[in-house]
Amino acid sequence: MSDPSETEKPLISDADMLARFRNSKKRPKCSDTLGMELLAVDQDAMTIRMGFDVSDAFSNPTGAIQGGFLTAMLDEAMSTCCIIASNVTMTAPTLELKTSYLRPLFPGRAEAIARILKFGKSTAFMESELYDADGKMVAKASATAAPKPFKRF
Amino acid sequence: MPFRTNEEWKSWFEFSDPPPASELMDFELIDLSVEEGWVECRFMGKQAFLNPGRTIQGGFLTAMLDDAMSVAAVIIQDEPSWVPTLQMTTNFLRPAQPGWIKARGEVLKRGRSAIHTSGQLWNEEGQLLATATAACIPRKL
Repeated sequence: MSDPSETEKPLISDADMLARFRNSKKRPKCSDTLGMELLAVDQDAMTIRMGFDVSDAFSNPTGAIQGGFLTAMLDEAMSTCCIIASNVTMTAPTLELKTSYLRPLFPGRAEAIARILKFGKSTAFMESELYDADGKMVAKASATAAPKPFKRF
Repeated sequence: MPFRTNEEWKSWFEFSDPPPASELMDFELIDLSVEEGWVECRFMGKQAFLNPGRTIQGGFLTAMLDDAMSVAAVIIQDEPSWVPTLQMTTNFLRPAQPGWIKARGEVLKRGRSAIHTSGQLWNEEGQLLATATAACIPRKL
């Protein structure tokens, strides 16, 4: 086997990777539902930044976004980070995900930053934080995933 | 003493407008027990929740679990309360296909400040899809 770090070397520039996602015509439905927009990619650091237009359809009786949907945004960010780390050859079904809810988030704009802690052959470890429009951290997640080759192509 | 009986909660769920998050997932109550602190309900796994692998994105499954577990924590309260989730961990056992997903939320321990809950999701074949545990702190409405 080759050194696993070789598979993580970017094949295209960060700008090209970002454009590939932003121009994709085959966006998953969940990305549209979450109002997701990929904002930045740093393949060397294995991080991404992602924006969301958070719909009031996700709110609970208090008007704040129900916690599970914050996790959906964090999961979206961490999964995208894995797909990019694999040069879009792998998807990374989540095995386990823990979220800490620090503050309520209200409908509007939110941003997530996600990073890969380790992208191994069978397991990936990721982290992500979600921020509100004022830049306050509203939730933080860590997750474990099992990368596997993409079947879509 | 729970401030509503089982029957009062059932008619409350039948006749009141669900919050947007529950409505988005087509929440339907199946059964509950205020004495034992559990609720069974179901959600629709919609096309709008699908990830690139064409299964339900994990966060949407977490949203179903959070709904069910929060209801379990709300119905044991002595007065109208909401139960903001502090922390939640979800384990994803099987990919979830679009369709009805059955959920159970249960209170594990009612502490003086925090409530610990657990939850499970099953597909229509009765296969376990995901499990979760969470902690929340009830606040009076």
